[in-house]
Formats: sequence, C-alpha cells, structure tokens
Amino acid sequence: MKKNIAVLMGGRSLEREFSIKSGQRISNALRKLGHNVIKMDVNESIVDNLNSEKIDLVYIALHGKDGEDGTIQEILEVLGIPYTGPGVYPNVLSFDKIISKQIFISKEIPTPPFYFLNTSSFRELGSSKLLPFIIEKIGLPMVVKPSAQGSALGIRIVNDKESLPEAIIYALSYSKKVILEKFIDGVELAVSIIGKDKPRTLPIVEIVPKKKFFDFESRSGVGETDYFVPARLSPAEDKKVKQTAIAVNNALRCNRLSRVDMMLDKKGKVPYVLELNTSPGMTDTSLLPLSAEEAGMSFEQLVDEIIGMSLEK
Amino acid sequence: MSKKIIFDYWNHLYSSRTEYMFSSEIRDLLSLSARPDIISFSGGLPEVKALNFQRLERYVKRIIKTDSDISLQYSGSDGYYPLKTKLIEVMKLEGIDEVEEDIAITTGGQQALDLLSKVFIDPGDVVITEAPSYTGALNSFKSYEAQIEGIEVDSSGMNVSILEEKLNELSKKGIQVKFIYLVPNFSNPSGVTLSLKRRKKILELAKKYKTVILEDNPYGMLRFEGKSIPTIKELDIKGDNHNVIYLSTLSKLLAPGFRIGWVVAPRPILEKIILGVQSTILCVSTFSQKIAYEYFSDPVWQENIDKFKSIYSARRDAMLSTLESNFPKGSMWSRPEGGFFVWLKLPRYLNTKELLADAVRNKVAFVPGSGFYADSRGLNEARLAYCTEETGRIEKGIKILAGLVKEKIKLYKSFK
Repeated sequence: MKKNIAVLMGGRSLEREFSIKSGQRISNALRKLGHNVIKMDVNESIVDNLNSEKIDLVYIALHGKDGEDGTIQEILEVLGIPYTGPGVYPNVLSFDKIISKQIFISKEIPTPPFYFLNTSSFRELGSSKLLPFIIEKIGLPMVVKPSAQGSALGIRIVNDKESLPEAIIYALSYSKKVILEKFIDGVELAVSIIGKDKPRTLPIVEIVPKKKFFDFESRSGVGETDYFVPARLSPAEDKKVKQTAIAVNNALRCNRLSRVDMMLDKKGKVPYVLELNTSPGMTDTSLLPLSAEEAGMSFEQLVDEIIGMSLEK
Repeated sequence: MSKKIIFDYWNHLYSSRTEYMFSSEIRDLLSLSARPDIISFSGGLPEVKALNFQRLERYVKRIIKTDSDISLQYSGSDGYYPLKTKLIEVMKLEGIDEVEEDIAITTGGQQALDLLSKVFIDPGDVVITEAPSYTGALNSFKSYEAQIEGIEVDSSGMNVSILEEKLNELSKKGIQVKFIYLVPNFSNPSGVTLSLKRRKKILELAKKYKTVILEDNPYGMLRFEGKSIPTIKELDIKGDNHNVIYLSTLSKLLAPGFRIGWVVAPRPILEKIILGVQSTILCVSTFSQKIAYEYFSDPVWQENIDKFKSIYSARRDAMLSTLESNFPKGSMWSRPEGGFFVWLKLPRYLNTKELLADAVRNKVAFVPGSGFYADSRGLNEARLAYCTEETGRIEKGIKILAGLVKEKIKLYKSFK
C-alpha cells in the first residue's frame, strides 16, 4: 500500500555528503516501490517539517551525529512517528565506542583491548605521561580513533611511539574522547543483520584495502579497496563470525537493522568486534546492499523489507 | 563461491588520467559549508547580490526583444566580436593595449586553463606554479599529467631566486619548462601581490629560458588599497610581446553564472585555443556573451566595481582586525590589498585538515592548505575567503577559529 515516507538525509554530521548519497538512492527505491517520498534535510526546522506533513514512516538515512546517536530517534519517539533502524537505546550505546566495548566485555564478546582518554585529561591532568604505559600494555601497532565517529574519519594506525601524539590530536579533532586500541592483524569483515524478532545475518563481506588500512579515502573511493562476498572463510569461521555478530546485536538490544564490523585475527581465529553501526551506508559502494545482493535481494527488496518491519506494530 | 565485487563495470575502459579524479575527506567535510548555519570562509564566491538586478533584467529583455535571432544562435568559436571590443576597454583600464583579434573568449577562466593545458602539456612535461597555487589550475595541469614544480611564495609573491635556480637546474638536465603559471594580483589562494621588480625578473627569465607565462588576473580590478602594479602582459607588450598569455574572467567583475573568461595570446597559440574551443564546445554561450556585452556597454558597470570593492574591503578589514586581536602568537597571515583571500599559516605542528573537522563541528568552514600544493606542503596552512560572509559573521567565525587553534596548541603542548 502506498505510504508517505519522509527520508531524512544530510544533517549536521561530518558524514553529510555520504548520507545524501544514501538518501538519494533510498528515495529512488521507495519511489519505484510506489511510495510517496518526502526528502528532508535535518536542521533547526526538522520538528516543524515533520509535523507539517502527514507521514506514515521516517526512513533514517543519516550517518553519524544526530542520526546514529539516538537524537533523531528520540525526536521521532516524542512525535510518535515510526522510523527505520534500531531504537533510541541501541543508538546511544553503539555510537559511543567506549560504552559499547564495555558492554562487549561484560557479555564476553571479544573486542580488542583498549584504553580511552579525553581532551581535558591531556590538557589538565598530564595524561600524555600515560602513553609509555599504554604502549607497554597494548603494544604497537595501535589503532587510534575517536570514540564517537563513523566512516573511518579520524582513525590512524600508529607503528611507532613518536607518531602517537599526532594521531591522538587527529582523533581528538573528531571527538572529545580518543580510543587507543590494540591493532588486530587479520581479515576485516562486515556482517549485516536484518530482522525484527528473528534477526538474520546476510552474507559476510570481506574488506581488503589496497593500502594497509581502510581509511576514509579507501572507503569513499572506488577502486581503493577490494571486497569479497561472501568472505573467504571456512564454514566453521563463517559460523563463528555470524554467531558473534548476532551476540553483538543482542547485547546492544539492536532490532531491525545493523552492521557489525570485526577483525578475524590471523593466529587464533578470534572474531574481534570493533563496532556496531545502526545506520549502515546505502550508497552504490556500501556494504549492506552488497550483502543483500549476495543473498538474492535487490536494493528495492532490501528497502522494502526495512520499511516493512518498521511499519509493523 | 566467493567473488570479488566489481563496483564499476566500466573500470577496464577508463583512461589512466581518470585516476586523478577522486573524492577527498576535505571535499566531504566542506560539503557541510553550504548549510546556512555554517560560517563559510571556504568558497571564493563573489557578492552577486550587489549587482543591479533591475538593470540586468532590462538587458535581458532588450536582447530577447530585439536580438533573439542572434543571441539564441551559435556564434564564432573565437567569441562574440562586440563583447571583445568591450573586453579591450576593460583591459585598457589595467594598462593592456591589445586588439580584438588577439582575444579568444572561453567558458570561464577554467576552460582557458584546460585548453592551455591541452595545448602545451604532454604527460610528464614540467610546468611551474606558485606554491601555494590555485587548485583549479593545479587540477587542470594534473589531469594532463604534468609534473608540477611549485615555487615558494612570500609577501612579495613568487620567490624569484628559487625560480631562477629551478629553471637553471631543469635547463641543465635538458628539460624545457612548458609554462610558468601565476596569479600576480591578490593571488588565489595566498592573497599576495607579485612586486613589480619580480614581475620584470620573471618575464626576463621566461625569455631567457624560452618559455611562456600564463598570467591569470581574475582579481586585478578589485584593488581597494595601494597602487596598481603593471600586469606582466603590459610589460611584455612594451617589449616583443612574445612571452605572456593573459587570462581573465568576468566571474568577479560581473558574475560567475555567465561563465565567461578570455585569453590574450600570441596569434599561433590563440589559433590552437580557438580550435580547442571548436572541438570541445563549438562556441561559448552566445546569450551570456550578449548580456555581458550589454552590461559593459552601460557605463554603470564601473560603479558596480566600486560597490564590490567597498564590500570586499570592509570584509577584509573585519577579517584582518579579528585575526590580529584573537589569533595566538606563532600564527601568520597575508594582508591582501584586494581580491578575496587571506592566507593563514599556523605553527608547523598544527594540521589544518584536522582543524577543519573541529571547525565544522563548531560551524565554521575554511579550506585546508594542502589542496593548494602539488606536493606534501601546506599542512599547517589554510585559505580564508572573506568575500562571502558579512562582517559580523566574519568576526564571529574568526573568533571561533582562534579559540580552536588555542585549544589545539594547548593540547599539543601537553605532549611536550
């Protein structure tokens, strides 16, 4: 049945451009599915705009701040408008990588060992003196990343102690807290999960950056990274990775949609969980649509399933 | 069965030069600057609102009423002759005395740069630019696979001693420099003006090393302080008029939406440019050229330039005084006497790409310096355009930036 669907895209996040690409593609798919699409940028007029239209469903095509941190979800809860993707709580938990990693640890889900520090602790508490201890405990290379940011923005791999301050300052440009995490040498994997009551995994995507690390340029530029679907894993590894992804999804009380990013380490074959994304990219080069296609779903079918379960009471 | 994903089915067909076309983190961050709540020092956007729209409307109506059979038709690949007569008058105000036959009109200055690159550059050829230099020019030269040698700029423009050394070094290796690209007046991005002494020296060097100068002068008429300096073209005309290709645009004198630029060059070079126009676009929009002709036929256009100058001058003053009273020690910036841009240099250890991420989160945008260099320089530098925002917002934005820079310095020092 034809529905009025508002697609929220753009917004104030640093991933605005990426969100607009996702939003355009989703809007086209919704139109092909016969729905009435209202595209909305997210700014100070968003509440008025949402109120001024008769909207059956909001499709959240936002990435990063506001769209994946629970902000927009809470607004929609107050307004009583159904929306796609997980609810407020899983968004709040997953957006802060420190909190989500603590939850993984409490649920015995493997995640790379880490420490976090915030800007003021460097400026006012002399935290830079901690760095030799952190290097001793975690070892090098180390991944330095902002605690709340997507799209590989602000992330660097540090191979020597001299480069550590620079990487920390870089990460702190994107977030007030920085995570110093053990680098896991292995295979990078993305597992998309879809489904409301019985979440199911889609085929795993294996990411092989041509550069040593999957940074922002690799992510956004075609030809910078090779992708394999399904990932080149043994049946046992495939099963273990998917089980872990579902465990992560459940631990963060995620429903309807998510993508779990992991590193499967070379030695022990342990799937280390890096993070969970509540609004996975939907562009031509995004991983969720790739997985869905491998599972035999067209982009329109994927969008149709996402809106279908979001409209269910 | 696992398979490698092919995102772009046509990848195997693309030319190698498409490798120079890619997205960047900076571009994505700057996409936010289009939002009205962001104070943007990023784009060099002229204040088109200052134009007299009623008069423009009158020109357009007149063209449609009396001249639509010509203005909606194709025109010559070298450009609409009556407009050339007006461009001659415009250039005379800058001391350049040329004839209509020496001009080719292009779709903006950018097409002139593309055509000149096409005319001169084979893959691997060496071209010389200022460092920093206009990104649009660098991208054009790169797309023809030029090897770009950037010569450092100081407060008097391109450093001629380094240029001479470079030319000498290349000549000894038997390498012919194809051209020297310069924006001598209130350069984009540095805001710096090339001194007369250096203009003369660079012309002398161009003659000695048998190369040409591409003199790009979009901002020359927007001087709001100090004395005008002769263009290099004017200096060359006084001699054998052999070594300077002069480029300009109506984007800053009228409006960028018309997409009109022009080239003045020695005849053999001009012939090639005109053939280039023919093979790429047949001709520049006749309609745009007609409107521009009407605009420059109305003496009021010079009053408009004065209006532009007073707007930009007030905005520059707001930016410079706010920089002065708020930026921490160790920061330096250029003091342009015209044009659109201030060039900012922060302490070496600060990275402006990182600062941009912070700035955008705090609703201010600028362009990090690295994009204006063909090599790895400019990491601690930035271009601040004062042409777009009103003075109150300029002051607010610079204060926010100053606060962020101070925080970064404090953070950096905590590691020492």
